[in-house]
Amino acid sequence: MTAPGALAPQLRRTPLRRVAGLDRLALAGGVLLALIVLAALLAPWIAPYPDDGGSATHALDALLPPSGAHWFGTDQVGRDVLSRVLFGARTSLFIAVAVLAVSGVVGVALGVVAGYAGGWLQDVIMRVTDVFLAFPALLLSLALAVVLQPSVTTVIVAIAATWWPWYARLTASVAASVATRGFVDSARCLGVPAPLIVLRHVLPNSLTPVLVQLSLDGGGVILTAAALSYLGLGAHEPTPEWGLMVQQGQTLFTTDWWAVTFPGLAIVLTAFAFNVLGEGLRARLAR
Amino acid sequence: MRWHKRLLAAGVVAAVTFSAAACAGGKVRGAEGTPQPGASQGATGGTADTTFVYVPNLDVVTDWDPASSYSNEIIAMENIYESLTRYNPQTKKAEPRLATAWTTSPDGKTWTFTLRPGVKFHTGKPLDAAAAKAAIERTMKIGEGAAYIWGAVDKIQAKDPTTLVFRLKYPSPIDLIASAGYASYIYDTTAASGDLKKWFGEGHDAGSGPYTVDTWQKGRETELTLKSFDGYWGGWNGPHYTKIDFRVTPELATAWQLLQRGEVSFVQRLNPQLFAQAGATDTVRTSQTPSFQNLLALFNTQSGPLKDVRLRQAVQKAIDYDGLVAALKGAGVAASGLVPDGLLGYTPGRTGRQDLPGAEALLKEAGYGPGGKPLNLTLTYAQGDSDQEVLITLLSAALDKLNVKLTAKPLQWTTQWDQGKAKDPAKRQDIFVMYWYPDYADAYSWFVNVFRSAEPVSFNLSYLKDSGIDKEIDRLPALTATDQAAAEKAYADLQTQIIDDRAAVAVPYVQNYQRAYAASVQGYVDNPAYPNVVFVYDLKPGA
Repeated sequence: MTAPGALAPQLRRTPLRRVAGLDRLALAGGVLLALIVLAALLAPWIAPYPDDGGSATHALDALLPPSGAHWFGTDQVGRDVLSRVLFGARTSLFIAVAVLAVSGVVGVALGVVAGYAGGWLQDVIMRVTDVFLAFPALLLSLALAVVLQPSVTTVIVAIAATWWPWYARLTASVAASVATRGFVDSARCLGVPAPLIVLRHVLPNSLTPVLVQLSLDGGGVILTAAALSYLGLGAHEPTPEWGLMVQQGQTLFTTDWWAVTFPGLAIVLTAFAFNVLGEGLRARLAR
Repeated sequence: MRWHKRLLAAGVVAAVTFSAAACAGGKVRGAEGTPQPGASQGATGGTADTTFVYVPNLDVVTDWDPASSYSNEIIAMENIYESLTRYNPQTKKAEPRLATAWTTSPDGKTWTFTLRPGVKFHTGKPLDAAAAKAAIERTMKIGEGAAYIWGAVDKIQAKDPTTLVFRLKYPSPIDLIASAGYASYIYDTTAASGDLKKWFGEGHDAGSGPYTVDTWQKGRETELTLKSFDGYWGGWNGPHYTKIDFRVTPELATAWQLLQRGEVSFVQRLNPQLFAQAGATDTVRTSQTPSFQNLLALFNTQSGPLKDVRLRQAVQKAIDYDGLVAALKGAGVAASGLVPDGLLGYTPGRTGRQDLPGAEALLKEAGYGPGGKPLNLTLTYAQGDSDQEVLITLLSAALDKLNVKLTAKPLQWTTQWDQGKAKDPAKRQDIFVMYWYPDYADAYSWFVNVFRSAEPVSFNLSYLKDSGIDKEIDRLPALTATDQAAAEKAYADLQTQIIDDRAAVAVPYVQNYQRAYAASVQGYVDNPAYPNVVFVYDLKPGA
């Protein structure tokens, strides 16, 4: 939890300026993540076989082992695994950003209202949050994904639905403490309308822990999305998606290890990068 | 047939492992393949000295009634029940089983079978001509599953305890029909004091085969175990397996690990990569046999977007048939029409070819395709079947180029089938992928079960309703018995109608059976007329 000292009065003084003070591991995580983002953005230009990231197939080249022509080998229908891992980064990062944006906006908005308003409004919002938190997250996502048609959008909705309560709860607790501080009281005494107080004063000062939590959660979202795709409830062919690639390659592990190993490593590395970066941010901002 | 196909699909999906590990004490041993005590001695009693472990990937039993059973349980039923004859794929003839000899009248309408004397049912009652007559008549009366195979039979007579006579409405190869994998079982119709069907459903059997039901627990990994029947007419002298376990294992990789560790005897199917690895493993043997089993992609001709025949033809043309066979690496061969090579009705020159420009033109005509309306199709297939997955991957990619989005759902067989049979057409899929194989060595089953109209829906999952086609199908059995050339032509014409004109189906490939089993299992021969069945009594547990 953020120490009181970290709750600086103005947002512009908060998180970004402090990134410079990150420890080495977090920095490495940041660099790794930057590389992954770069790879995702540049996939059409750096992938050795850009068509393989889409709907091309080359069945005659099925399951070729890693070589100079295919660094990561080929999959069951002859597609270049490296190209699909690169394009898969786009899918995974898109899902992560979309889920965090949706659940972040919903969670923070509800949380800050609950924290500032208190009383029955807080009770209602927090009880709803508790109901969502009472479900095991993956189970709820699974249930939603089964009901909806499997697709990337479904994955985003299903994960966001289980993710926002955390931000709501976190924001509510911080906002509640911010709401009792002197500068908020002053604003209220000066007659500033409540919505403006929330937007101008409470929200900016409640964001720091949420931002840290968001960066920590990026890895979790990617893992959950991979799990849903792995279970056949997420992205489907021919969308390149790491979880789906792992699912399709798993029975080949003992004979054609590359089809499952490289997308698996991509998931691990990305989740790792998010986690160490988030952890570093948390430590830095807590100082 | 229907159950069979599903069973096949399941078997395909899951590597069925027969674990041949002999287990002292009747349990499957997680062993390294050393001979089990008692493995080399003939089991003479009901004690379980040697256990054969078969690993299917889908549930084994869906219907215990030998009259209506028509699915995956064939792998157990053929070891519990016997028919009058058994098909030999080498000689392509029926051979003695419960009948030791038979003759036919010159007009082919009277068949006289001599039954094996002294055979007893597991219930203790004698299996004589009267009992056989009662069993076949009950199967015909219930009329479910593959009971249609007896369609030519007018009446059955038990002349004396060992003489059974069939009088037919039209000439028909009763010796071959009696060898069918379904609906041909001879069972004790007097086994239950009450409702026989209910009694069967509780997991009882009334067969005459070498094994009888020991335990059955639906939903358990080891779903079913069989034990030897002491009074079996073949006797138990010499080495035999005395127990059979059916251990349901959906993942191929897991099945392969079990086989490698010596925990199971027989894996029904592996993927091509694991099969190659099995071939190079000392403790494991492999067998590859061309099958009568092909994959069908059935298009919904009654509801949804594929109601438009142009769209069905477009999907047919989008399938990369050559690529699929290449990617299957030996697990499948190109199909030419609906009937696999080796059966009457096989029509050469019908092998599918991918034609994306042709598909695009058809889609455009219907207002879809690149630049047109987006088209969304749903497909259901067998969960865990890596061969079907290759088809889905190739087809999704090809359709994606044509602005068609394919949503493929891997499902358990029961779920997939129930959805296909849904009363509400809106709940049905656009494309249903399943395996099919014949009930006896004849092509009729593809037509009568899959493409003849039927209400309620059973296996006619393209929902085709065409009285002209129905009429043609109904002529097939008599034609086959009387005029083979005319039958060949009728089969070819029907395939033109069903595949080309109505575009109700695509046939992506014919399967090769690729089995892997423990090196200690001796005497295994694959019989494609009984898909996925291992006749365990014929095997010897080796050291």
